[in-house]
Amino acid sequence: MNAAVTAEPVTGPRVNGTDFLSAQAENRRNTRWLILILILLGLILGYVIGWALEAWASADYQVADTLNISALGILGALALGGIGIIASIVTFSSGDRIIMKLTGAEEVTAETEPVLHNVVEEMAIAAGLPKPRVAVIETEALNAFATGMSPQKATIGVTRGLLKSLNREQLQGVVAHEMGHVLNLDIRYMAAVGIMVGLIALVSDLALRSLRMGGRSRSSGKKGGGALIVLLILVLFAILAPLAAQAVRFAVSRQREYLADATAVQLTRNPLGLIGALKVLEGHKEKAPEIGNRATQHIFIVNPVKAFKSGGSALFATHPSLAERIERLTNLGRG
Amino acid sequence: MAFWIVLGLIVAIGFWGVSLYNRLVRLKTQVANGWAQIDVQLKRRYDLIPNLVESVKDYMGYEQETLRQVIEARNSAVKANAGTATPSAASLNAESALTASLGRLFALSENYPNLKANETVQQLMEELSSTENKIGFARQFYNDSATAYNTAVLSFPDNLIAGRFGFEQATLWQVAEAERAAVEAAPKVDLR
Repeated sequence: MNAAVTAEPVTGPRVNGTDFLSAQAENRRNTRWLILILILLGLILGYVIGWALEAWASADYQVADTLNISALGILGALALGGIGIIASIVTFSSGDRIIMKLTGAEEVTAETEPVLHNVVEEMAIAAGLPKPRVAVIETEALNAFATGMSPQKATIGVTRGLLKSLNREQLQGVVAHEMGHVLNLDIRYMAAVGIMVGLIALVSDLALRSLRMGGRSRSSGKKGGGALIVLLILVLFAILAPLAAQAVRFAVSRQREYLADATAVQLTRNPLGLIGALKVLEGHKEKAPEIGNRATQHIFIVNPVKAFKSGGSALFATHPSLAERIERLTNLGRG
Repeated sequence: MAFWIVLGLIVAIGFWGVSLYNRLVRLKTQVANGWAQIDVQLKRRYDLIPNLVESVKDYMGYEQETLRQVIEARNSAVKANAGTATPSAASLNAESALTASLGRLFALSENYPNLKANETVQQLMEELSSTENKIGFARQFYNDSATAYNTAVLSFPDNLIAGRFGFEQATLWQVAEAERAAVEAAPKVDLR
C-alpha cells in the first residue's frame, strides 16, 4: 500500500505544492486565455477571408488599399461569430443524448449498482449539486466519463472493468474527478471549444477549396504581385488557423483535466484515492480494449484511444500524461 | 448638471448595495441548504440503525453492551435534533457521540466473519457506512459554505449591510469532544 503511494521521479516542469483553491484559480485563468485566443483566431480568420474577397473583387489589387479596414472583412468576422453562437445553442440543447449514444453507456438503478450509486451521491453532496444520473459501460476497459450541459442534467458513467478493479476509495476518487467536470461546467466549455475549432476547420477548408477552383479559371497572372500576396496570406491562414485552433483545444482540455483532479481533492479531501486509481489505470492502459473514438475521447478520465506511438506529440493530446497528473496530485497532498 | 451627477451616484450606490445584499442572501441560502442536506442524512441514519442492530445482534452476542450504547446514542440524538432548524450545540454533540459509537460497532464487526457472509447485513453496512460518508461530506460542504458566508458577513463593505439587515454568523460544525476522543482511541492500522 505504501509503495503504491510514493511518487516515482517525474521529469518535466515541477509544480509547486499548492492548495486546491489556488490551483483552480490558476486553471480558470489559463482556460480563459486559451478560449479568448480561440475566439480571436476565429474572428481573424473570418476577417482575412472577407478581406481577401474584397481585394480579389477590386480591379487592381492595390495592397496599400487593403491596409485600411475592410468592410467585407468585418462582415466575415461577424458571420463566423454568429454561426458559432447558433451552433453552440443547438449543441447545448441536444448534445447530451448524442454522447450517451456514442459511448454505449446504459443508465443503472440504485438496486443493481448500490455502491456506485452511493459513491456518486456522496460526491454530489460534497459538491452541493443534485445527484447526477448513473451509467455503466459494459466493457473490460478502465475508464469513466461525465456528460451534461448543466449540473442539473449531468450523467456520470464508469466502465464495468473500472468497477471491478478499483476499491471504494479509488472509485470515489474517479467519481470525484468526474463530479469536478460537472461542477466546473467542463462539458459545456469543451463543447463550445469544439464548435469553434470545427467551425474554423470547416471555413478554412472551404476557403482552400474555392481558391483551388478559382485559381484554375483566373490565375493567368496579368494582375501582378498584389494578387499573389493576397493569395499567399489567405492560404497561409487557411492552413495554419485550424492547426492552431486544434492545439488550443487540446491545451484547454488538458487544463480542464488538471482542474478536475484538483476539484476531486477538494471534494474528497483525500488525494490518495485518485492517485491510487490513476496508477491502476496506468498499469492497465496497454492491455485495455479501446472504447470511444476521436470524437468522444476528451470526455473520458484517461484517453480511451491509444496514441500512434508512445512518445506522441504532447501538443496534440487531450489528456496530460498520467505521470504528470499523479505528480501534481502528490504535490497537492503534500501542500 | 450637478444634480444629475449626484442622482447618478445615488442610483449607482443603490444598485451596488442591492448586489451586496443579494450576494449575502445567496450565501445564507447555501448555508441553509447545506444544513438541510445534513439533516436528511441524519434522519436516514436514525432509520437505518435499528434495522442494523436488529440484524447483527444474533451474530454479535458478546457485544450487547456496544449495541445498547449505539441505540442509546441514536435515541438521544433523535431527541436533541427534534425541532432544530439550525445546528444547536446539544444536537451536534449528540450526533458526534452517535458517530463515535457507530465507529466502534463497525470496528468490532470486523471480528465476526459470519457477518460478512450475510447479504442483508452487508447491504445495511454499506448503506450505513455510505450514510456516514454522506454526513461527513454534507458537513464539509456546510462548513465551507458557512465559512464563506461568515467571511462575507465580517468583511468590509458587506458588514455594513449585514449589520443593518440582521445577517448573523453561522455556527460551524466542529469535530466535538466525543468524536475526537474516539478518533484518538481508534486502533492504529498499519497498512504495510
